[in-house]
Amino acid sequence: MAVVLALGAGIAQADPHPWQLNLTRGVTTWSGEPYFLNNVAFGVCVVIGVLVFGAMFIAMFRFRKSRGAVPEKWSHNTTVEIVWTTIPVIILMVLAYLATGGLVSFANTTGAQMTVKVTGYQWKWRYDYVDYLGKPISKVGFMSKLDALSDKTRQLGSGLDPYAVKTGNENTYLLNVDKPLVLPIHTKIRFVITSDDVIHSWFVPAFGWKMDAIPGIVNTAWTNINVPGTYRGQCAELCGQDHGFMPIVVKAVSRADFAKWLAKQEQASAPAPAAPPAAASSAAAPAAAASAPGGNG
Amino acid sequence: MAHEATHDHHDHHHAPQGFFQRWVMSTNHKDIGTLYLIFSLTMFFIGGSFAMVIRAELFKPGLQLVQPSFFNEMTTMHALVMIFGAIMPAFVGLGNWMIPLMIGAPDMALPRMNNLSFWILPFAFTLMLSTLFLPGGGPAGGWTMYPPLSLQSDSLAYVVFAIHLMGISSIMGAINIIATILNMRAPGMDLLKMPVFVWSWLITAFLLIAVMPVLAGAVTMLRCWPAR
Repeated sequence: MAVVLALGAGIAQADPHPWQLNLTRGVTTWSGEPYFLNNVAFGVCVVIGVLVFGAMFIAMFRFRKSRGAVPEKWSHNTTVEIVWTTIPVIILMVLAYLATGGLVSFANTTGAQMTVKVTGYQWKWRYDYVDYLGKPISKVGFMSKLDALSDKTRQLGSGLDPYAVKTGNENTYLLNVDKPLVLPIHTKIRFVITSDDVIHSWFVPAFGWKMDAIPGIVNTAWTNINVPGTYRGQCAELCGQDHGFMPIVVKAVSRADFAKWLAKQEQASAPAPAAPPAAASSAAAPAAAASAPGGNG
Repeated sequence: MAHEATHDHHDHHHAPQGFFQRWVMSTNHKDIGTLYLIFSLTMFFIGGSFAMVIRAELFKPGLQLVQPSFFNEMTTMHALVMIFGAIMPAFVGLGNWMIPLMIGAPDMALPRMNNLSFWILPFAFTLMLSTLFLPGGGPAGGWTMYPPLSLQSDSLAYVVFAIHLMGISSIMGAINIIATILNMRAPGMDLLKMPVFVWSWLITAFLLIAVMPVLAGAVTMLRCWPAR
């Protein structure tokens, strides 16, 4: 029963919908953390707002001059000062404690069962599968760029209707790619995120975090997806003219389906030495092949 | 007629001024303040027109008006023009107009430097806005010009130099305001009797002197980033 509810909630909240007022809860084991922290901070703000603006309203309405209000003579009250210093300190300490807990659990990538390397390029993403369940993966990696229909529609003066770019019932204008990142559910996945040119940021809202992809620096983050589905995101750091046109699509599948998919990819990438594409590229541009990042997984 | 006579009598040692002398060579704090305010309003409309390009393009999904690279140029230019061209000169203009009046000084402490610190600005902004007409276009590195993206703009050197000029102008304006407030107050106008506007400008001027060299150093170092 709980599983069914969780599944339903996860699918319903994966994408924002009209009149949605709060953030999405996300679909991973960790994504509830920022959701919870935001709700706590928002609750504190609402209570403070009601008290402060309420006090102001009462002061201005009930004690206005036209009602004959006479100012009190005293100007200092030590008890009040102690109270309104102590309460904010307690609130801040509670918020800092909760937020630190969230950051620590966010940064803890130990015990990951899988590693995926994410590289930002102007203006596409590259995904390299490094290892899965303790076994290194060789030569499974690909570029993931904006799908052809979105790309055609987004050209200046294309005359095409962005609302007509759909995947099933979902409008996926600028939110779909040619090759999505396929990931297994119920697996702790470590991402190592970097960039080849300028700063990008890898952001899938359903995971509850984003991580900058910085050239020369490798950042890490992790996720453990609970609900199978397709999760969409975008580059979240201005990276040049096509910054808005390098979306992220994650397809989360069951572990069995993922194992099948992975086997197929490994098979496709390790053919006989005379495979035409590999031979052509290495003969034409040995330097390019040598410098291609993640070329050998 | 009577007013004219009094005026002549009062200013008998001044030769009549032409438009050029009156506005370009002025050392009068009110005239320079007016120039600052007019400049600020002009830049407000230019920066505003950039924002209108951004909003017109975002009016509906899809691309209707401009290429993405030009859109990014508009974002960067809007920010630089609004901050350095509209907000800061507006405050300096009000300061020039109001501070001598509020503290009972006849003029700013350094009137010629006051003229120079204004007249740097039109040149700085001509330089910066001209990048929009250069091959490769204006800077398109987000409004903070962070590297390495900003290094991909061919016009970065122009913008860095323009920001140096704006910084020099701001520093001279700040020195002038500090010198005026600390040295030119009327008898009886001690620091704790100063209006809060004058106080806020005194603090702001010190902050500007502290911050502008750091900004200049930071934008200069953009040019030292290893090119890719």
